[in-house]
Amino acid sequence: MINMKIARYQPEESAEPFEQSFQVPYDASTSVLDALNYIKEDLDPTLSFRWSCRMAICGSCGVMVNGVPKLSCKVFLRDYEQGMLLEPLAHLPIERDLIVDMDAFLKHLEAVKPYLIDAPLESENTAMAHQQTPAQLAKYQQFSNCINCGLCYSACPQFGLNPEFLGPAAITLAHRYNLDSRDQGKAARMPLLNTEEGPWSCTFVGYCSDVCPQQVDPAAAVNQLKVESAKDMLIQLFRGNL
Amino acid sequence: MSYRSELTRTWWLKHHAFKAYMLREATVLPLFFLLLSLAMGIYSLWQGQNQWQAWQLIMGHPVVLVVNSIALMASLYHAWTFFQLFPRVMPIRLGEKTLSPKVLIAAQWAGVASVIGLFAWLFRGAL
Repeated sequence: MINMKIARYQPEESAEPFEQSFQVPYDASTSVLDALNYIKEDLDPTLSFRWSCRMAICGSCGVMVNGVPKLSCKVFLRDYEQGMLLEPLAHLPIERDLIVDMDAFLKHLEAVKPYLIDAPLESENTAMAHQQTPAQLAKYQQFSNCINCGLCYSACPQFGLNPEFLGPAAITLAHRYNLDSRDQGKAARMPLLNTEEGPWSCTFVGYCSDVCPQQVDPAAAVNQLKVESAKDMLIQLFRGNL
Repeated sequence: MSYRSELTRTWWLKHHAFKAYMLREATVLPLFFLLLSLAMGIYSLWQGQNQWQAWQLIMGHPVVLVVNSIALMASLYHAWTFFQLFPRVMPIRLGEKTLSPKVLIAAQWAGVASVIGLFAWLFRGAL
């Protein structure tokens, strides 16, 4: 048995979150998500939490485990025999129990235009239009592995201090599309990225990369984009746009 | 109604990664003292021989030597952290291959060693 403390928030019952303890049986393969499902099915059906795939692909089940952002399906009880405290992801408004409001995160993602923006095709042969060499793919591939779990936002003190900061995942995604040889949208993305809410609010704490379950290294992407932003400013200066 | 928690002033005490970050940023404090000392030195030089000698005396004071030694250690620590971050911020690609971070880190330390070597050669016999 493991003593699992869970920070609960029931807005109709109390104005602030409170802790509740549960005794959970486990073996070598019991994940935190398994334990949460056990609690909901056998101990307390009112417990609320998000989950879907159970294999660290969907990015739905992010929680704070002893203060560290993790995917609950990727953490095992066997590593926490001293007990654990589960809390909702930090820096985001709590809706209920372990469920946070991801709106700010999703708005930031949307704001950076995270999709291929095409130049008008010169050729009618569309099958040719999206060809890409392995070297061109290698430039952005690492940054395209993001699963939008939001762990990096909970790890980022700058986002905690200023929720307007676009944050690690959104800036990484912007950089990922800027680096894509098929994309022509850099000019459309840079004006927002050059603002204070862009990469310049990052102070390279680097913890976002530590907690990333996909080894995307958002801190590297954000700071590479600072270099791009500085280059873009110089280009705009020479063009007389500043 | 959703619940919003505020980030407290002690947020950085909650994880060792944050403490390491604060230590890296705090290296500027002893460096600021060193810069102040150097600025005072230039001002003393401009004021004349007596002031210059007085400044040299202050620089030899044990407390000043200790703080400046801390500044040296702090700047080496900062360089150590910076050199590790550099290959992630500016990865260098030669053709289809990306240069190994280890090579870039070693090259930066080689740069530090050559600057120290250059100054040791310039000031040889002066100390």
